Amino acid sequence: MKAIRFLIVCIALTAFAHPSAQAAVGCDLNDPDRDVARLFPGSTGYKTMYVSIDKKGGEALLLQIEARLGDKFQGLFETADVPYTIYEIYKGKDKIGYIHGVNQKGRYGGLQVFLVLDVEGNIQSFYFQKLTSRAAKELRDPSFGQQFEGLNLADFYKYDVASKKTVSPGRVDAIKNPSPDAADDFYASLRATKKNLILMDEFLYGNKYLKDFKGHTP
Amino acid sequence: MISIYKVSFKNLLRKRTRTILTIFGIALSAWVLASLLGFNKGYEASLSRDIDNMGFQVLLTAKGCPYEAATLMLKGGTGLRYMREDVVQQVTGEPEVERVTPMLMQVVFDPNKGESGGISAYLGVDPVTFPKMKSFLEFRQGGWFTDPDAMEVVMGYEAAELEQREAGDMLLIPEKEVELKVVGILKRSGTQDDGTIFMPVRTVQTLFNKPGELTGLGIKVKQDADIVAFEEKLYGLPDVQVVSLAQVKQTIMNLVSTARIMVFSIAIIAVLIAMVGVINTILMSVFERFQEIGILKSIGAMPWDIFKLIWIETVILCFMGGVVGTAMAFGLSKITEVLIRNLLPYAPTGSLIQLDARLVIMTMISVLLIGVVSGMYPAWKAARIRPLESIRSEGN
Repeated sequence: MKAIRFLIVCIALTAFAHPSAQAAVGCDLNDPDRDVARLFPGSTGYKTMYVSIDKKGGEALLLQIEARLGDKFQGLFETADVPYTIYEIYKGKDKIGYIHGVNQKGRYGGLQVFLVLDVEGNIQSFYFQKLTSRAAKELRDPSFGQQFEGLNLADFYKYDVASKKTVSPGRVDAIKNPSPDAADDFYASLRATKKNLILMDEFLYGNKYLKDFKGHTP
Repeated sequence: MISIYKVSFKNLLRKRTRTILTIFGIALSAWVLASLLGFNKGYEASLSRDIDNMGFQVLLTAKGCPYEAATLMLKGGTGLRYMREDVVQQVTGEPEVERVTPMLMQVVFDPNKGESGGISAYLGVDPVTFPKMKSFLEFRQGGWFTDPDAMEVVMGYEAAELEQREAGDMLLIPEKEVELKVVGILKRSGTQDDGTIFMPVRTVQTLFNKPGELTGLGIKVKQDADIVAFEEKLYGLPDVQVVSLAQVKQTIMNLVSTARIMVFSIAIIAVLIAMVGVINTILMSVFERFQEIGILKSIGAMPWDIFKLIWIETVILCFMGGVVGTAMAFGLSKITEVLIRNLLPYAPTGSLIQLDARLVIMTMISVLLIGVVSGMYPAWKAARIRPLESIRSEGN
């Protein structure tokens, strides 16, 4: 009888566990097999994880992320229910890093900013998967992305996304806007990078960079 | 005096686990049956709604022109063909026509979409007739174009989400390097409009240098009109092809019917298995009560009384299984729908399984019929037991 009761409870519970058909859209790699091999040369495999602010910590987490970012989540599409896709990269059995992308509102369209990160949270490469900009060519030039390599969240805390200025001298100062036409999209890409790094610190790095944030609160 | 129904019910309670398992078996069959009947109704209703949501029943395109964005994507935007705008006047003059709306689709290559670029599609629509034809579309922000020549766009929800646009933002058309103002964001409709970027048709003609040309003409036919005869008439127009959405619907329904026959066959097998299960359970119960039935007969019970007793047990089992099964069909309809969606090559939006009182009654009648039929043999067997023989068997 106990087994039958258990079966009935299981059926009753699964009846309410259907996913919503109208969830927000995240930022995935267009062709993960090809893109992971290209962005992470030497990798042999990857695992995909889906995380959202809603599920990870809800409103409290959203407020913490906004505080660390120094800006509010804005508009129709930057919401707590956006599912973030994180690619965990392996070489054999060893985890060698992550790839994570975020959507960001640009001047003329959406930007999809992907970061390739090592296990310590340092940027190994920067990639615009999608970009609509009058200076798209300059922004997609490898020399622009190379300016982000080696930086981490501790560096980006020195950049204030609201005022679009650095609050203390640092390595982010070295990132130059490639074209006067691209100012809005340039700042949007800096915001996207900082947001991306904060999300990864919250989701995967165990908030190891939180101490740097407190140290740089204006 | 205790009624025969109460006696039958108490008999079933004597072997509770066996009774519950038999009820569960019948319930599973009833669940499958109710879900399938509900699917039959829900799928057709959803498909009809999807087609009605297109706003028109007939689509006229230039010969060889792919008529929807998905086809354009597959063909890399190379398959566009055009028809002259004067076709609008020709078609509007037909008595069967209630309303027409001209459309011009254009695509551009966007080198900054993904690693090797992608295409972006823009649908030029008439600001006067298109909103009337798509009256079900609702706005999340803003509204339709302010002017037939306006440099403005209205975006479906998913298109806006991909481009992170809101009303008041600017949108750049790659290749053309032209800026347009976003004046409206539509709510999700569950149709292909969600991924569409709309512009005034004249703006698209100007920007893409296609004056007086169209790629499609949506036609809403009057309710009492003979659509088939009207389509035949349209075939008389030069260099156009007629896409009848009624035909599209029929083709999809034919494809689904094939799958449905297979699923119904499986359902019949499930029902037969349940039937055999019921016969087995009741027959076992009769054999276990061999002496008991003999004693009942020896103290005056007639064969018909015994037949009724056993028969009622079967009907009670099937009735309870039917109730549980239809409850499961209601409770698990969302899960069943997810499973069906994964199996079907094309599933329309909206609820695929529609259950109502009529379907519940049909399911219950079917299950009770199973009970009535499958209870006959064990009841007949029990009614034929000879009192002396059964009492004597006690000593063996």
